[in-house]
Amino acid sequence: MAILELNKVKKSFGTGHKQVDALKETDFLAERGELIAIIGPSGSGKSTFLTIVGGLLSPSTGEVIINKENLSSLNEKKRSKIRLKEIGFILQASNLIPFLTVEKQLKLLDKVKKGNMTKAELEQLYKDLGISDLRDKYPSDLSGGERQRAAIAKALYSNPSIILADEPTASLDSDRAYEVMELLKNETKNKNTTTIVVTHDTRLVGYCDKVYNMTDGILTLKSKE
Amino acid sequence: MFLAWNEIKKNKLRFILITGVLMLVSYLVFFLSGLATGLQDMNRESVDKWNATAIILTAESDKSLYQSSMTLDDAESVKAKEIAVIAQMSAIAGNGDKKKNVTIFGIKEDEFIMPSVTEGNVFSEVGEVIASDALIEEGFKVGDKLQLSSTEETLTIVGFTDDARFNAAPVLYSDLNTFDKVKYGESADVNKNNINGVVIKTDDLKNATENDALEVVETETFIRNLPGYTEQNLTLNFMIYFLFVISAVIVAIFLYVLTVQKISMFGIMKAQGISNVYLSKSVIAQTFILATIGVAIGFVLTLITGTFLPSAVPVSFDFPTMLIYGVVLILVAIAGAVFSVLTIVKIDPLKAIGG
Ligand SMILES: Nc1ncnc2c1ncn2[C@@H]1O[C@H](COP(=O)(O)OP(=O)(O)O)[C@@H](O)[C@H]1O
Ligand SMILES: [Mg+2]
Repeated sequence: MAILELNKVKKSFGTGHKQVDALKETDFLAERGELIAIIGPSGSGKSTFLTIVGGLLSPSTGEVIINKENLSSLNEKKRSKIRLKEIGFILQASNLIPFLTVEKQLKLLDKVKKGNMTKAELEQLYKDLGISDLRDKYPSDLSGGERQRAAIAKALYSNPSIILADEPTASLDSDRAYEVMELLKNETKNKNTTTIVVTHDTRLVGYCDKVYNMTDGILTLKSKE
Repeated sequence: MFLAWNEIKKNKLRFILITGVLMLVSYLVFFLSGLATGLQDMNRESVDKWNATAIILTAESDKSLYQSSMTLDDAESVKAKEIAVIAQMSAIAGNGDKKKNVTIFGIKEDEFIMPSVTEGNVFSEVGEVIASDALIEEGFKVGDKLQLSSTEETLTIVGFTDDARFNAAPVLYSDLNTFDKVKYGESADVNKNNINGVVIKTDDLKNATENDALEVVETETFIRNLPGYTEQNLTLNFMIYFLFVISAVIVAIFLYVLTVQKISMFGIMKAQGISNVYLSKSVIAQTFILATIGVAIGFVLTLITGTFLPSAVPVSFDFPTMLIYGVVLILVAIAGAVFSVLTIVKIDPLKAIGG
């Protein structure tokens, strides 16, 4: 059973001659344990796709099914609950809260989410991401790479089924970018989650199980050679 | 609370600023309320002390004791559980050293408005008075001979009593004989039946008098009609209510600015699935923390200031009133946070993601 399923999903912005079909009719499946890359030029519809999958944007037509829940049939309040439970976001800009230390960023999630990580699991997460020494630091005291790792810790906290990353390496140099991809790959495999990474950086596709191409709102699977 | 408190801890300066403003506003509110109570006391203290139901004045006096004029015979016709006749005049009294505006009440020693002395003795001879202990602070003592502005007669303070100010002047209680001497001089005898009103305690106000020329004025009504009393209260209360509005507006603007600065942060949290309810509660909790701290400091500052004030400043703190005002200030601040809550609810998480 696929963890994520898109059936005939389409998204248009605007109406009449100003209408932009950001995402043409798309079917999509993702299984647990898959690391998927979506590459394509700027403006091709990658973010549109990702925000629809994340339940932040409603498709114009079609349905999005996450872990057997059809998002289209839910109101914003219920979708927000699903996001909290099932989805971890990693964004281009760091999604850290400026006035919380790294440790407290996770503690906040601990407060709003029910069914949490044990202490040992949390320690493991710190260790996996190499941020054990950073827990008392504020985001402003972290380097770009450290910030992104903390953000990933946040996305991974309490094991969501799907991790969505929009250009997670955009603000990082090559070495850091590879590190982050390595991390995502390990987490995906170890925790059996599904990770979708949107990027225009083709060097990162080597880490992924499947690579899709996005061009003008059309998503096509690229065979890996 | 978690978000609210951690943000305050990290951004101390900006939150100290808003707390400081709330503190100043509440300081002002508490102080004005103290002033209002103090001024009220100056006017009504002696009347409150009588613990009377009503006072009977002439119908044409327009509820003014000074304007009311009747006789002891009128008092005879009054039906009440307890009655006490009262004659009143204003004068300037001096002990050779200090001069002070006073109200003189002529009363009967065996009636219920007779004050109990806190120092010295009750009056027994003509010319003796029991004075308000407010005069002690002005330098008057037991045994002082008082010259009056209106007459050659002198009065002697034989005792003091507490809570005895009327319409902003300390009271001298005297026997009716003494009073008549002071007020009418040579013609005291002719006027010995004249009084200004009758103070009563009764369960049956309606039937206190059948005389159409007399009017039964309930104690509260009587006090409200003291010259300047109501106007003074309205002015001070208006200032206090205005301060409530000001603090709501200040808090609203301040929190709104803070919220607008944090829109993308709220958006990210909403994208992660943190609910509007949680974020709104956090803003409310923050306001509550700041307002409570501000009001508490304002309260303490008010009390500290109170102990340093010269006794001439009529400030008197009524704790139940201050408690109510404190709670209102906190509620009003929270009302000011509603704007921010509305803003947060309207934030589109998608915009924050900046797809
Ligand atoms: N809210 C919106 N309103 C109108 N047009 C939009 C909106 N969001 C995206 N688009 C358009 O949809 C297309 C795809 O955008 P996007 O998904 O952000 O591309 P990418 O992330 O690949 O750069 C672009 O042409 C963009 O201008
Ligand atoms: Mg994009």
